[in-house]
Amino acid sequence: MSVAPEKPPREGKGAGRRIRRKSSLTSHGEPMVWLTGASLALCLVMISGLLGLVVYQGGRTFWPQEIVQVETLTGDVLMGQVSRVDTFTPSADALDALPDEARVRVEADMRANEGSVARRMLRTENFDLTGTHFDWIEESVIAAETKPEWAVVVERTAKGRFYGVPQAFLVDGEAHTVGSAATWGKFEEHHARILARVEQIHDLERDDLGHINSRIERQRLALREVELARGMESPEWIAKERETRALVEDAEREFVTITDEIGRLRTINDSFALRFETAGGGTAIVSLANIVRGTPVNRIGTAGKWSVYFDRWWEFLTADPREANSEGGVWPALFGTVMMTLLMTIVVVPIGVLAALYLHEYAKQGFLVGVVRVAVNNLAGVPSIVFGVFGLGFFCYIVGATIDDLFFGARLPNPTFGKGGILWASLTLALLTLPVVIVATEEALSAVPNSMREGSYACGATKWQTIWRIVLPRAQPGIMTGAILSIARGAGEVAPLMLVGAVKLAPDLPVDLGTFPYLFPERSFMHLGFHIYDVGFQSQNSEAAKPMVYTTTLLLIAIVVLLNFVAIAIRARLRRRFLGART
Amino acid sequence: MLVKERIARTLITAGGIGTILAVTLIFVFLAWVVFPLFASPHTLGSESVEALDATSAPFRFDTDEDRVLAWTLHRDGALELVALESGERIALTHPFGETVPVSASFSTAGDVAVFGFADGTIRVGNVGFETEMLDEAVAAPELHALSTGEVATRGAGVVERTTAGQLRRTTVGFELGEPLDTQNPSPVICIDHAVTPSGLSIVTLQENGALRVSRERTKKNLMTGKVTVSLRSAELAAPIEGAAPEVPRGILIDGLGQHVYVVFADGTTEHWNLADFSAPRLFERIDLIEDPDARLSVVAFVGGRRTLIVGDSSGRVDSWFPARAAGSDDDALLIRAQRFEPGDSPAILVAASPRSRMIAVAFASGSIALYQATLGERLLEIDGDEQAGALTVAPREDAIVARTSSRIASVEIDLKYPEAAVSALIAPVWYEGYPAPTHVWQSSSASDDFEPKLGLMPLVFGTLKATLYSLLFGAPLAILAAIYTSEFMAPRLRASVKSTVELMASLPSVVLGFIGALVIAPFVQDVLPSVLAMFVTVPCVTLLGAYAWQMLPNHVAVRWGGWQRFIAIALTLPIGVVAGVVLGPIFERAVFDGDVTNWLGGQSGSAFGGWFFLLLPLAALVVAVGVAFVVTPRLRSRSGRWERGTVARFEALKFVCGGVLAVALAALCALLLQAVGMDPRGGLVDTYVQRNALIVGFVMGFAIVPIIYTLAEDSLSEVPVALREGSLGAGATNWQTTLRIVVPFAMSGIFSALMIGLGRAVGETMIVLMAAGNTPIMEWNAFSGFRTLSANIAVELPEAVVGSGHYRTLFLAALVLFSMTFVLNTFAEFVRRHFRRRFSGL
Repeated sequence: MSVAPEKPPREGKGAGRRIRRKSSLTSHGEPMVWLTGASLALCLVMISGLLGLVVYQGGRTFWPQEIVQVETLTGDVLMGQVSRVDTFTPSADALDALPDEARVRVEADMRANEGSVARRMLRTENFDLTGTHFDWIEESVIAAETKPEWAVVVERTAKGRFYGVPQAFLVDGEAHTVGSAATWGKFEEHHARILARVEQIHDLERDDLGHINSRIERQRLALREVELARGMESPEWIAKERETRALVEDAEREFVTITDEIGRLRTINDSFALRFETAGGGTAIVSLANIVRGTPVNRIGTAGKWSVYFDRWWEFLTADPREANSEGGVWPALFGTVMMTLLMTIVVVPIGVLAALYLHEYAKQGFLVGVVRVAVNNLAGVPSIVFGVFGLGFFCYIVGATIDDLFFGARLPNPTFGKGGILWASLTLALLTLPVVIVATEEALSAVPNSMREGSYACGATKWQTIWRIVLPRAQPGIMTGAILSIARGAGEVAPLMLVGAVKLAPDLPVDLGTFPYLFPERSFMHLGFHIYDVGFQSQNSEAAKPMVYTTTLLLIAIVVLLNFVAIAIRARLRRRFLGART
Repeated sequence: MLVKERIARTLITAGGIGTILAVTLIFVFLAWVVFPLFASPHTLGSESVEALDATSAPFRFDTDEDRVLAWTLHRDGALELVALESGERIALTHPFGETVPVSASFSTAGDVAVFGFADGTIRVGNVGFETEMLDEAVAAPELHALSTGEVATRGAGVVERTTAGQLRRTTVGFELGEPLDTQNPSPVICIDHAVTPSGLSIVTLQENGALRVSRERTKKNLMTGKVTVSLRSAELAAPIEGAAPEVPRGILIDGLGQHVYVVFADGTTEHWNLADFSAPRLFERIDLIEDPDARLSVVAFVGGRRTLIVGDSSGRVDSWFPARAAGSDDDALLIRAQRFEPGDSPAILVAASPRSRMIAVAFASGSIALYQATLGERLLEIDGDEQAGALTVAPREDAIVARTSSRIASVEIDLKYPEAAVSALIAPVWYEGYPAPTHVWQSSSASDDFEPKLGLMPLVFGTLKATLYSLLFGAPLAILAAIYTSEFMAPRLRASVKSTVELMASLPSVVLGFIGALVIAPFVQDVLPSVLAMFVTVPCVTLLGAYAWQMLPNHVAVRWGGWQRFIAIALTLPIGVVAGVVLGPIFERAVFDGDVTNWLGGQSGSAFGGWFFLLLPLAALVVAVGVAFVVTPRLRSRSGRWERGTVARFEALKFVCGGVLAVALAALCALLLQAVGMDPRGGLVDTYVQRNALIVGFVMGFAIVPIIYTLAEDSLSEVPVALREGSLGAGATNWQTTLRIVVPFAMSGIFSALMIGLGRAVGETMIVLMAAGNTPIMEWNAFSGFRTLSANIAVELPEAVVGSGHYRTLFLAALVLFSMTFVLNTFAEFVRRHFRRRFSGL
């Protein structure tokens, strides 16, 4: 190492600088500081990147994209929405399979881009006609690309989306109106009425028929109860049996009336249909009753797109899922999540506060209480799946099975409470979040200055009065924080729910205002978190389901983050108040 | 007033204690469910009844599920039915009439039986229990009086009142098919059959030495629905004219109809392979009996018909099955898997359980031993004084029923959970068909005679692997970030940065799992070389940035020391990423033969690239230590009077030289290792799977970063200001204060943060469930998937049968998780308190 010639000090204060220089630079550890800084930056980039990804992908799901129609060199005509773009390296076999002209162009493209080819994924759907949902197209084989003015994306109740250009409006199979514009006008005129009838059919099926079925079911259970209690040949049983038969006959008559009505509505609906021209040049007929929403995307302009966008969000938040959960809404999951969290909160907050009051105000502070405190604290670190195992083994299989034996013997061997359900899920999560509430409440209780307690005692208040009037009000924001944090944790927890009652599709909500006893704590439920897992991983058409997963994720994150923000805000307020009291 | 007070006190105390009890209940309950796994099998009692004298061992003896009825097919063709409750013989028929079979074979589970006759014909039959529910109204009046569990004899059957209150009649059905001609009039002296997935396979040995396998082919005409049965035969050994060959101890055909064993009394066994049915091959001739003095006394299959149980005259019992040598495509040869605890006298009878791998072996002395065939463990030993002539395991595995010459004795047993014995859970087990003992978790399968393999080790391994990789990624990131936040950041900014990172903690893990599995995993697979290169380029670029920053004039560096520096630091990240994107493919072409994925799969390239990549961090560490101890002190002592800029240039030069040195060192070692012939593939790196430990490490690292970060940052900020001020006042730089004063003081807090992060990683479920691929394998390969305890519970518990060994094993997994995290957290808490007390004086 060559030693640089020493330079004379430039200015007069050289001596002071020399001492400082002696410890400079290497001892500042600049590189290490940069590593620590880079770690922090990486953490922040990761979180913002993740949130950004979810917000972007989730937010754009419902934006109606323009429909393109492409003609390839191989002669295929495809119509659909571009779902994503990427590059890939085609295999030699795939290249050989292309016609000459296309191959030349693809190979030229490959030479220009280091062996890879740009391609796009077109959501072409029309699954019942083509058997595929998506098609990959290499950019270089596209011969022509147009945006047909009247191309319409139709969201159907079943079989996925449909892309086509409306040709004619059919009434009873006869072309009533011809021409895209006129046809679409007719469609818009009739569609609302048809949807109203679909809704009516749905109501009849679910509510009216459902009530009849549950009435029969209840009667059958009552009969079985008598049978279990008195035996099959007893006079009570015979009387009950006769009653049941009468009721069933009655119900069957009603059943027929309702099904007739449903049939009538269906016939009216079925007479309207649209004839579309599809990309390949063929035609297809779609019944109006099967259309949830039709959008002539290329015509409607920005305002129209925003309207469709919000309309879809509204559907997402309020409607039932369709198409194996990959379309439609998440209303049951949203409802299930909120209700489960609510039930959990009702259970966990009073119990947690009670336990914290005991630990902090009543129990004699000693070794044992210290141990209990540490144990409760550590319970917060126990994996959530363990609580799920406990919930399943204890609540469902032991408590639930006992309840079934005692009160629902008539339904056995079908379990009522002896399986996963919203009540057991709430209790399991209550146990899971209990330490959060206890710890937060204890913290809040210790934040109450002792002088206030002493002052209260000095005024002659009893212990309970002191707690009720002085301590609890002061600790209230802290308790609130604990409650909200526990809600946030509970709302985002999925693993234990997989064991104790979250299901991919629950036909009935745990609350049914039309059927006694209105609240069904034993029912399985849907949950947003489980919905993400289920749609993302168990879905058959995972590519089409992905946008939906992003949107559900966005919704779940929004709920959890919002709750956390509320908790942080309350905590900040509490701290300010506490500081105020100390000074 | 006082009343209210008392009520409040009682309520709060009750509530508080109740809550604490409820919390302990979790542990107690889990333990309570798990406990029966460790109970040892035992007998519950025995009873015996008189039965028909039988001089020779009968063809077959069996009992029904409820053990109300037993049947015996005697050598003279007589079928005897005995009501087990009373010992009353309720029927004695001769279903064969005059033509008594000379040999017979019966299915362990199911009713198929095959008989061989002296005239060279065989007949397929059905013999087994038949049950019917009796109509209470039509049944005889004395049956009405039966209470639950009581038994009455009706005709050639037994009627009992079931627990559901119905009357059930059990009897024995016997059907015999038409004689099938073997085209060889010599008596069929040995016969065995297997019900294979494609139909019935029968192996016969005739007195003149003809050994033949016949397969039944059932064809269903799709148009007419007509079923036709045909028989195809393959001759293994042709008849020998003249002298009669030696009569074997037994012939056996395995459950798939692929292997045929002809076992002789001296232990010699011919092992035939029928994989190509038209050309059967004699695979091997092997001696199953080691001891030259002993004679083979009994041979039989374990349930599932794959493992042979061989007993000899000295009382030894071994199990053998065909298995391929590890990693070879050779023929599967017979190997001895287990040597059971021997009996005191010759083994004479083997009865296999129809529902598990349990076998009962009767010895000449009259004692009976129960073994778990896979584990090689003796479960029970039942003493007896009379030699058994026939033995059977009751269908529910709740009793062993033996028939001696004049009695039927049944011993009720409770086996508990032999398949989930401690040795099966934690030790390697030699499962059927495996070349050596291994750890396997495979709790269920589509096939019927499947044996659950409940080795917890692959799951524990998966859990540790997930934890290790996520800590490798998350822990340094979190701790370094915490140090920067607490030591080098403006307090005003600190609060908002901290709550942003805390926000990360509240993200539901299902979201992380989804992003990891469906976004990051496919993305990383596409750009693997670039991602791998980024592990090198990002820190390098950051460090380069630091050295470049040092070259700034002092007054600029001081003025920009705050957020401007942080922006600069942050800017090095994208530069590092770009560098990775550019360098990755270059590196890939240079040392990984153009395709990392192929290279990892072992299809191409030399070992050099892998070693180089793996050794680079190590080499960098060695060089860094060398530089720190050799170069830096000298530089520091010489540079005292240098200009700041000169020192900075020297520092940068030092870094660049160090980097080159590290690369050279890594390359040299890689070349050496390659020359020695070692290859990293198959160990730390191997075939690339899309959902792998790298992805999980990244995503779960993401999940544990906020926890470690928050706790570490808390403990760093708790360091008293006075200490910091003292250090700075004594002339230490900010970094020196951080490294020598703050971090050591906060070490306990950082350590407990790590422990708690570890606890979270151990129990995390959704991320590993979604992003780890869920294959229970034990490989250190960073690019393969795994299955953790938690994910396994989530996948399998909803399907597990309540109270089964599988169910309890899953509870054991939960208990292990509970204990692990509880111990980790308690330890962390203990460390924190201990050190806090130590430092509280300061």
